[in-house]
Amino acid sequence: MILTGYRLGVDIGGTFTDAVLMNSETGDILFSKVSTTPSEPSLGFMNAVTQVTKQIENLSVEHIIHATTIATNAIIEGKVARTAFVTTRGFRDILELQRQIKPKLYDVFFDKPRPLVPRRLCYEVSERLTAEGEILVPLNEADVRNIAGQLIEEGVESVALCFIHSYRNSDHEKRAAKILADLLPGVYLTVSSELSPQHREYTRASTTVINAAIMPIVARYVKRLEKDLTSKGFPQRLYIMQSNGGLMTSRNARAKPAFMIESGPAAGVVATAAIGNLLGKEQIISFDMGGTTAKAGLITRGEPRITYNYEVGAVATPETGLTKGAGYPLRTPVIDLVEIGAGGGSEAWVDSGGVLKVGPRSAGAEPGPACYGKGGVEPTITDANLLLGRIDPSYFLGGEMKLDVKAAERAVEERCVKPLGKELSEVSYGILEIANANMLRALRLVSVERGHDPRDHVIVAFGGAGPMHVNALAKELDVKQVIVPPSPGLASALGLLLTDLKHDYVQTFIQRTDSLDLERVNDIYRRMEEEATSLLSEEGVTAQNTNIFRAMEMRYVGQSYELTVPAPNVELLQKDIPAQEEKFYAEHERSYGHATRTEPTQVVNLKLSAIGIIFKPTFRKLGEGSTDPSSALRNVRKVYFRESGGFTDTNVYDRNKLVSRNVVRGPAIIEEVDSTTVIHPNYQAEIEGHGFLTISKE
Amino acid sequence: MRADPILLEVIRNSLQAAADEMSVALARSAYSTNIKTRLDFSCAFFDKDMKLIVQAFNQPVHLGLLVFSVPAAVESYGADNLQPGDGILINDSHKGMSHLNDICLISPLYYNNELFGYSANLAHHVDVGGNAPGSISVTTEIYQDGIIIPGVKVLKNGEVDNDLYELLRANVRGKKEFGGDLRAQIAANKLGQRRIKELINRFGIEATTTMIQEIYDYTERRTRDAIGGWPNGEFSGESYVDDDGLDDKPIKVHSKVTISDDGIVADLSNSDKQCKGMMNSTYPQSYSSVMYPIKTLLPQDIPVNDGFYRAVDIIAPKGLVVNCSYPSAVVGGWEVGLKTVEATFGALAKAMPDRVAAEGKKTQLHIAFGGVNPQTHEPYVFLETLAGGYGGRPTKDGPDAVQAHYQNTENSPVEELEIGYPVIIRKYALLPDSDGPGRFRGGLGLRRDYQFRNHEPTVTILADTAKIPPKGLLGGMEGRTARFILNPESDHPVPLKSKTTFTPGPDDILSMQTPGGGGYGHLKERDAELVLDDVRQGKISLAKAHGVYGVRVDLKKGATTKAAIEHPPRHLLGSK
Repeated sequence: MILTGYRLGVDIGGTFTDAVLMNSETGDILFSKVSTTPSEPSLGFMNAVTQVTKQIENLSVEHIIHATTIATNAIIEGKVARTAFVTTRGFRDILELQRQIKPKLYDVFFDKPRPLVPRRLCYEVSERLTAEGEILVPLNEADVRNIAGQLIEEGVESVALCFIHSYRNSDHEKRAAKILADLLPGVYLTVSSELSPQHREYTRASTTVINAAIMPIVARYVKRLEKDLTSKGFPQRLYIMQSNGGLMTSRNARAKPAFMIESGPAAGVVATAAIGNLLGKEQIISFDMGGTTAKAGLITRGEPRITYNYEVGAVATPETGLTKGAGYPLRTPVIDLVEIGAGGGSEAWVDSGGVLKVGPRSAGAEPGPACYGKGGVEPTITDANLLLGRIDPSYFLGGEMKLDVKAAERAVEERCVKPLGKELSEVSYGILEIANANMLRALRLVSVERGHDPRDHVIVAFGGAGPMHVNALAKELDVKQVIVPPSPGLASALGLLLTDLKHDYVQTFIQRTDSLDLERVNDIYRRMEEEATSLLSEEGVTAQNTNIFRAMEMRYVGQSYELTVPAPNVELLQKDIPAQEEKFYAEHERSYGHATRTEPTQVVNLKLSAIGIIFKPTFRKLGEGSTDPSSALRNVRKVYFRESGGFTDTNVYDRNKLVSRNVVRGPAIIEEVDSTTVIHPNYQAEIEGHGFLTISKE
Repeated sequence: MRADPILLEVIRNSLQAAADEMSVALARSAYSTNIKTRLDFSCAFFDKDMKLIVQAFNQPVHLGLLVFSVPAAVESYGADNLQPGDGILINDSHKGMSHLNDICLISPLYYNNELFGYSANLAHHVDVGGNAPGSISVTTEIYQDGIIIPGVKVLKNGEVDNDLYELLRANVRGKKEFGGDLRAQIAANKLGQRRIKELINRFGIEATTTMIQEIYDYTERRTRDAIGGWPNGEFSGESYVDDDGLDDKPIKVHSKVTISDDGIVADLSNSDKQCKGMMNSTYPQSYSSVMYPIKTLLPQDIPVNDGFYRAVDIIAPKGLVVNCSYPSAVVGGWEVGLKTVEATFGALAKAMPDRVAAEGKKTQLHIAFGGVNPQTHEPYVFLETLAGGYGGRPTKDGPDAVQAHYQNTENSPVEELEIGYPVIIRKYALLPDSDGPGRFRGGLGLRRDYQFRNHEPTVTILADTAKIPPKGLLGGMEGRTARFILNPESDHPVPLKSKTTFTPGPDDILSMQTPGGGGYGHLKERDAELVLDDVRQGKISLAKAHGVYGVRVDLKKGATTKAAIEHPPRHLLGSK
């Protein structure tokens, strides 16, 4: 589909709803920022749309793309639909049993996540398959009909169906689904072998239940948006951002809402990948720091890294990392993000052992950092940045909000300077160093823990606070180059406009690699491909704009964790097998530092991604200038840098006046409405042709 | 003069990150379910004086283990006999380790040719030889538990000693697992060493070593500061092991905890003498078991390193069940350890009743089986531990079906298990009515039924709490005991002992039923609405609601009426 005119992206965040309107031909961008309306997010959505679209007359919008946290929020807040779970006899309790572990190791008062379906709405059907997919106990259809009757009586809105070993043989599930669908018109139904045919019953059941539990909510929400948009004169197709970093139509979102759980954060990583593509970078760490959390993602070979082991509702902390068992497992593809409780609002404190700590508590939006003057008395990262001269108190949000330096001073003085017996500036700098150490942990977790050396990557920094901290982080990690996009606070919303359609498929198929049944493997790939291409064609993508990627998850026979390696996009032949094994050895070596070529391997899952390429808007080019940035110089002020021994005269530049080829030498500050970029001594920022700052060592 | 508190926190975070990375590498590439799924391992760094710098925990059970084991192993081998690239392998229980399945790899860490310290990791191997698959069974001498590795140089200059490796491999059942797990252990130590070197490069050797000492002192200050807020005094608690698998008599574990301005002393001297069977704990196991309850009462962010251990002493005379002497068998040692946890919690409950739970399942509850897979004709061995009810707590019910206290091993997914092994799980469910009643009830135990397909494996149950149920606290009642039954739904169910090795017939079903947690507070004080919800969810029967809790439930109306029950009938309580 070739698009002209405008594309509209709407990103609903915790505090703000951002809308970005981009002219596909010129790359010109308009935006609006309105308050999020948590009780009815569609109101904020329409406010943002109205605000941004009224700026242009005779607007022709081709495409509307939306990122939302409505699915995650429903789960975290426990406001899910009345859902039932139907499974194999003997396994009613798998949602209760979970992994039988405690999410907190040393806390007597821990809780397991409360199942999304209460035990009384979990039902058993007589049927059982073996691991080979053979029938051990035939399906008792009377059980299914009987359950349908009870579900009507219970007033259930949605049903999750998950039988043991159904990823291997889906006959029983399909038959039971048919019976339920016939007897329960109007009730939503999710079938595990259709949604996520992967082995491991708890994670598959959990995925199925998540989908079922949010299906009615997402369906209502999407319908409302479509109706409101149409009534405002935007009948265009609505696309939703998925957690895998691709788009789907709102119609598909209604059937597979589990695929849009992390819709919001995915957009930022997609934006990063698109920026990388534009600038010719393939290995990137994305760093998104806002008010309450920092998120780090990884892009390898130009593609965002995807995980199939996500837990909804679990947050990593600097103290414990990410603890398993704290959330609801989700086996749909999710862009791999490490989220850590360190944002501008994270509070600094001194513990009883006399050590300075930062976070995980956050001042949030209310009362916010002490310097917001809204009654906050706890010192935060933002207060420290202010006291060190990195933020201009009169130019916060472009001057819309005046910051109270005295209040920040009082807070740091009371809570940290007194107990530590050190100087104000030293303590403020300490707050940043500790916050940076926490964020470094997130950056290392997302790279090193996945077997990638951060030194081989560039960092793309965005979010309101990301560009302020990223230079220091890059220095610690020895990362050679940092990229800061224009309007870093809007990067996520912009990412929506740079996204392709994408559908992911996976099918568990466990067999030793040396005796693979190629006919069946090729048959599974073929079926997945047919389904994908027909879906994309429904969504308006032509065959020449469709790209298919096949992959396999493999492991050594006896291991439990799989590694993904690409597979040929054509029929797999016997002669390809040694190459497949070699790819696996190489990946194992890279991930874990060792690999043996004598142990047998096996294929566990067959995967296919189908990407529908849509027209991408071009970025607008900046005017060219010389290396001298002095025409953009705003003022000179004292900013604290430890490298230069304390407060140092520092040039402050207006980002909007910087032009291509300008080189800003550190120490320097570059200000724009929604963010501030800090350039450290011995570093410099070069202005790239489209306005990106590239920060590197002098 | 204290060191820079900011640099301290930065270096501490970096050390923790290095240990965490080791953990991930080990779990991801290991072969045996114990390590890769159940995460039964720990990774740590020590300084050159053998003080613990940092440890990454998956299993709190290892809380006090490496801190003893690693110094003991290095001392016994001789620090001078180690060169860069070497690695010592050790599992000898009587040389400061735990049961033989826990194999530890210790590598010296050099920086610019100077000894800086050691990296170490300990992992539970699925089989180390011995009487039965999984190396668990009823034994009377350590030789029967499996192969003893006394501390031998398995890595020389970075290369595996192949003769030694083959000797070890010849003695274990899961040969593929053993090889894969050892490779993962070696890789984890290597990765950890690389990270520490990078860290020293960044901060300098001087700053790093100084800061490590400061981190110890800081941790000690925090620990003592927290303990300083606890009530001083002497508090005692006790808990019982059912039997040692040979005799029928219970084994007492007694813990007297003295809290004073000088710190904490836990005296286990009044525990029973070591037993003939394998229900014996080594000193490090007992130390871990005492440290766990203490750690739960401290602020969660206090790190674990040398400084953490300075404020706590334990007394456990040699020859007792809590510090057994050579050559006693020890494979049931963690069962004794869990009773030490409960006894110590029992003591601390007297000092701080609002911060401690009632007794939980208090058994590791192992099942292991092995034989020849009828499909592949290859030998196999499998081991897992099952969860049970957690004790009722001062403000809420005990969670259903979780691991006990310092044990946090994950279950094997049924589908993964059935793909890899010739077994079918016929049932995996909560056990309704297994709770210990109370104001806040104990968690429910669970039931897992195994059917062995077309072959006759050797099966071992190594468990406990089948006779002596989990106790309630402050008037709470006891939870249901564990039960092990062959062919439970048949006309002739056969009850099995909690410690036994046997061969089931073809297609026999073994039902493992785990204990429920004890209740907290008197059941008279239980909110009738909570009883109603339990009945609604099918976690408690109408009969128990009425007969024990005194709550008559009308499910249709959702209404309850409550009457006091003085002496609930025994058959409704579920304990033997």
